[in-house]
Amino acid sequence: MNTLLKVEKISVSFDGFKAINSLSYSIGKNELKAIIGPNGAGKTTFMDIITGQTKPDEGKVLFGERSVWLESDQRYQVVWDENLLMKSESQIALIGIGRKFQRPTVFELKTVFENLFISMKKNRSPFSVLFQKLNRDEKNLIEKILGEISLKNEQDRIAGELSHGQKQWLEIGMLLTQEPKLLLIDEPAAGMTSNERRQTVEILKKLSADKSVIVVEHDMEFVKDLECEVTVLHEGSILSEGSIEHVSSNNEVIEVYLGR
Amino acid sequence: MTNSINDLLARHTLIFTIVVIIFSLFITFFSEPYGNGLISTSFVKTLGKTVCLCIIALAMDVVWGYCGILSLGHFAFFGLGGYMIGMWLMYERTAIIVQEAATNELLPLTETELSNAIGNQIFGVVGGYEIPSIWMFADSLGLQLILVIAVPGILAFIFGWLAFRSRVTGVYLSILTQALTLALSLYLFQNDSGLRGNNGLSGLQNIPGIEYLGQEVISIGFFWASCIFLISIFLLFHSLMKSKFGLIITSIRDNETRVRFLGYNVEIYKLFIFVLTAIISSIAGALYYPQAGIINPAELAPIASIYLAVWVAIGGRGKLYGAIIGAAFVSLFSSWFTGGQAPDIPLGIFTIEWVNWWTVLLGFGFVIITIFSENGIIGFLRNIFVKEK
Repeated sequence: MNTLLKVEKISVSFDGFKAINSLSYSIGKNELKAIIGPNGAGKTTFMDIITGQTKPDEGKVLFGERSVWLESDQRYQVVWDENLLMKSESQIALIGIGRKFQRPTVFELKTVFENLFISMKKNRSPFSVLFQKLNRDEKNLIEKILGEISLKNEQDRIAGELSHGQKQWLEIGMLLTQEPKLLLIDEPAAGMTSNERRQTVEILKKLSADKSVIVVEHDMEFVKDLECEVTVLHEGSILSEGSIEHVSSNNEVIEVYLGR
Repeated sequence: MTNSINDLLARHTLIFTIVVIIFSLFITFFSEPYGNGLISTSFVKTLGKTVCLCIIALAMDVVWGYCGILSLGHFAFFGLGGYMIGMWLMYERTAIIVQEAATNELLPLTETELSNAIGNQIFGVVGGYEIPSIWMFADSLGLQLILVIAVPGILAFIFGWLAFRSRVTGVYLSILTQALTLALSLYLFQNDSGLRGNNGLSGLQNIPGIEYLGQEVISIGFFWASCIFLISIFLLFHSLMKSKFGLIITSIRDNETRVRFLGYNVEIYKLFIFVLTAIISSIAGALYYPQAGIINPAELAPIASIYLAVWVAIGGRGKLYGAIIGAAFVSLFSSWFTGGQAPDIPLGIFTIEWVNWWTVLLGFGFVIITIFSENGIIGFLRNIFVKEK
């Protein structure tokens, strides 16, 4: 299986406090993975590094593994499409990494439809945007995504009027119109009703059919429902990795996280 | 879905265009050269200048109300435009006068003598007769018109590129723009700046080559030019802000980080808006100062740019009408109160003289309007008349 994102021994410290400590992580194509950990474990910093908001002190972040046949050596060599540490936030987004923030971050004064229209995967240069109009295919795509995030009947409403859970979905929908290869989703279930929660699990599972998804969560029950590989972060490094049953039976994990 | 709203907006631009044209015709038919002279030439000039102020207010509204950049420096671009056109006006007119005087001389003047005579006329007040190198294009209207666009454009580009790239935002950016304005103004105050120091450029109302037309006719011409430019800029901004581009600009105002993480290069968008509005401000200035007749560095002082922000806030941010209403009303009231026409209010032992008390009134008005209606006069009227969905 080809690896989509590989993080190698990254470290970052803020004023002497080591937020991330020699952390390595990887995710394959169309894989769904979860990261859990107590407050201050470095979950958000980890996402900041991948999306280019924070530059690590050391380590590598690589994206898009490919094998290239070397004619001279008669062997395959592994190459990476992108080195994310050299890119700005907007460039990383264009490469195909979408990010959902912890608090729902949508354009509150615009309609649901407009929110999705802005995020649509298209040329992002100001001069090209001046003349962009919505064509039929794109309109259909937005309609389809509206269905996937259960907001079909809300498309003309101002996003600020939506419920908390609906805003979370809208933000996921905005990531979908971007057509990313990798989705980073920070606490999708925060502040959701149990009904909305169940629906969110369905949405996330469906997404991983043709995208890689990393979900960062606090809530053990929610992660259990995702039925995927779980990584436990603690003090900036990985404490345990494996199925939810595996990590939740780990004594160290129970001590730092579940025991509290 | 949004068709009915778009229709309404499209009609709004049409209504706006018609209102401005009717207003211009009305003024023309009551002016001295083309009508019964009910409206004096000086009032036509005041109106023409007010229209130019409305144009820069539109630019301010786009950069602040729509894009969220509180620039306290756009009046500097306005002033620069005035200086650029003023250089040609002053040079050309002086050259004509000097050449006419020279025809009476027995010996024809040499090139150097001619140049020194012009230089002496212009720069005598700051003790010099050499024409500074920044005046090298001053004999060509075309080149100075290009400079009206190029000088503020390049300045705004360099400043914006450095500031936005370093992610300077909010109040820090406002302070930087104000510092830029102050620096520019202080530089122009110096006698060796090459732009006549605190004397500024004067006699700009005399347009070389068409002086025989007289001020009555020239003032109407500038008034019309200003109105047509106002309509064009209104239509330009309106269509820009209605497009997807406008959607992204207001999104940057509301949530910059989200726009960035959607893959848009926020800095380029801000730079685009900053440079575009700087250039439009400059052209507005180039239309304003020939009507004002004089420009000096005090015009570029930071307070002018702050007034600009006040107009837009009073009129209503984020609505193009708001900017126009704010600029027109406040600047007309301002010239009425400070021009000595407003009747003083005697309060027994104390008399309120509006010349001094106008700023107090303006301050109160600003506070009251922004407290009661976040979106200024326009927001207030919309709350009453338009039921928001």
